[in-house]
Amino acid sequence: MASFTPYTYFQCPCTDTLIASLPFGAEAPPPESENDEDERTFDPRAPRANYSLYPLEHLLYCEDCHQIRCPRCVLDEIVTWYCPNCLFEVPSSTVKSEGNRCTRSCFQCPICISPLSVSSVEAPPEGLGAEYTSQSGPYVLNCSFCNWSSKEIGIVLEKPNSVFQQLSKIRNKGQPAANAKEARKDSVARTLDISTQVIMEEGGDEDAEEVVLNPETQFANLKSFYLTQLAETSPTGALGFTGDYGYGSPGALSRIMGLYTGVSFSDKKSKSKTGTMREACDALEGFQASRPSSEKAISRLRKEGWHSTASAEQMAEQTHDAQFVSELWPVANMLRMKRSKRCKTCRHILSKPESKISTTKFRIRLVALNYIPSISIKPLQPPSSSNPAGLLTPLNPTQFVLTFKNPLFDGVKVSIATPASTPGRFSSRVTVLCPQFEVGANTDVWDEALREEGGRGGDREKRRTKAEASEGQHQAEAGKVWERGRNWVSVVVEVVPTSLRIEGPAFLRSEAQQKDDGPLREDEDVLEIPVFVRVEWETVAQDESAGLAAKEKEVKEKRELAYWCVLGIGRIAQT
Amino acid sequence: MSSSKRASTMPAAPKPPTSLSSTLVIADNAALTGTHLITLGSNTVVHPRTKLSSAFAPIKIGSSCIISERSAIGLQSAPAEDEKDGVVFENGVIVEVGAVVEAKRIGEGSVIEVNAKIGKGVVIGKHCKIGSMCEVADGEVIPDFTVIYSNGLRRIDASGIENLKLKMVGRQVDVLRKLIPTNLAKFQ
Repeated sequence: MASFTPYTYFQCPCTDTLIASLPFGAEAPPPESENDEDERTFDPRAPRANYSLYPLEHLLYCEDCHQIRCPRCVLDEIVTWYCPNCLFEVPSSTVKSEGNRCTRSCFQCPICISPLSVSSVEAPPEGLGAEYTSQSGPYVLNCSFCNWSSKEIGIVLEKPNSVFQQLSKIRNKGQPAANAKEARKDSVARTLDISTQVIMEEGGDEDAEEVVLNPETQFANLKSFYLTQLAETSPTGALGFTGDYGYGSPGALSRIMGLYTGVSFSDKKSKSKTGTMREACDALEGFQASRPSSEKAISRLRKEGWHSTASAEQMAEQTHDAQFVSELWPVANMLRMKRSKRCKTCRHILSKPESKISTTKFRIRLVALNYIPSISIKPLQPPSSSNPAGLLTPLNPTQFVLTFKNPLFDGVKVSIATPASTPGRFSSRVTVLCPQFEVGANTDVWDEALREEGGRGGDREKRRTKAEASEGQHQAEAGKVWERGRNWVSVVVEVVPTSLRIEGPAFLRSEAQQKDDGPLREDEDVLEIPVFVRVEWETVAQDESAGLAAKEKEVKEKRELAYWCVLGIGRIAQT
Repeated sequence: MSSSKRASTMPAAPKPPTSLSSTLVIADNAALTGTHLITLGSNTVVHPRTKLSSAFAPIKIGSSCIISERSAIGLQSAPAEDEKDGVVFENGVIVEVGAVVEAKRIGEGSVIEVNAKIGKGVVIGKHCKIGSMCEVADGEVIPDFTVIYSNGLRRIDASGIENLKLKMVGRQVDVLRKLIPTNLAKFQ
């Protein structure tokens, strides 16, 4: 069995309370039957607990709500988009119009997804002064990992930069890539053309069938077609709302108002009047009859073999359909974004990265690690050689040292509470030998050292020396702190692991076991202890409303934070 | 090279018979061992701490090859009947750091990348590339232009730039000639 690393997970309170997603201005609902809440023991094995337990490093802390915030109770906001390859920032307007791909020269290999580099097909110049001449001639995209080259699919570039434009040009067979707006204009113009033609000729539909659209134009045509359909069928009624997404119209304004107020401004009558929409029926409207080319594909498959077909992963990367390896195109790099996080309840920013792409610093980062004491676990007795995996022997009392480290600049009072026996089918007995203690402030390391110059070894510092430990003073006393340091305290917790056996007489079984006597489930042998931690400390009031007077007096404010944790102590040996 | 290490009291192993080209670049602490003939062609570069072992079968390396550090060339165990010819490299073969090559034949311009393993009796075609950490099983025959990459995926390279690549190998040899001090006399 793999060795077990003890862990500590913290529970975010957002699952218990309903205030997580309150709309603006709403009053907080009265806490429902507080006693009930207090008496209930947190069960780390409950299915819901999965979604509220996080390692301390994943949690944020809201300074205004004085509460832990987990990834579920924060709001994400996009700060910038950028390409991870060239580290260029992409404005949001470009992201909207061009999609979330890099539009410069960053491509990944269609075969193996490693980044492609541009290189010249020509041999590098040789001879005198060769270093000073620049490389010229046609360029290709090269993969240094799998040796794929864009030459294989017949793509040769004229210049080494702005590869995206060049590729889309090649794709559209010489025409510059039309962005959506131009394409729409184009298609509208062409529709007019065609319609006049049709009127004149009465049935010139042979050449229309010939039209083969490339995917971009087809998409643009379809989009414009459906937009016009929307505009035609939706009522241009009293509000003048045409279905177009023009925000200038009063109809759109009322719609936006409706979004916020939740009241529908549009009357029901006009809705019933909506006409029927038709589907696209020719190429100009984006209609493309599927041409089953299976015959061609099969003959090609026969000729070139299985290796010429693209794998499912390769096809998934592509933006367009591709059946064969030769149809795979270089894929433009996906953009990434930097996000800031806000508290859902008070909307204060909890984390905000520097908007500059090349820096990884944060402007604001309120991580829980800086606010609540961390807990680390280690066994009091080192694991013996006979039991290297550190399995817990059933019914054998084992002691663990919990070390609380205080990140705050004020001393804190910590009280911890555990249920006498762990929840679940196999409940072990747990005793915290010292449930209440004080942890020193996280002051400068040198403060302590300088202060202790005179009276060496003050009563606060009580570190066990190696000699003392080896003398067999492994006996932890109830009500006393095991070890104490500058900003940390360790206490001893004693567990009596239960036996994992279900057989045996019924009167020996617990109630839960009598109900469910199935075989041992996955990770049911892990001993997890729910711990309720309550931290109290006094700090200088930061309330800005108190004004200058308060600042002068340095009003001390009492703070309190309470939360559930889960300590994963170890696996119980199965006998 | 003054080293603080204690010298071995064992007598130095006998040198293997060699046939070395005069334009060969071979570093002082390359290790040529074994009893069979080791042939190294012209303009070939042997990095320091390369292990060429002809203990079981001869090694024949063509011209303009680059054999990198800590790579092991030559059979590591007794050969089968059809592997008696030993290891043969054609011209322009690059073996990168830590690769283990026991192949029967490696074609022109092929590249064996970092820590790749080529089994016994393997025949690798021309202009192949065996990616880093990839392994080729004993007795396999790899056709020309094959690229083995990732966790053993294979494809045929059709980019058609092999002449360019051979040219680049030549240039690389020129650079290495300046960087690696050669000590041909030690191995002759």
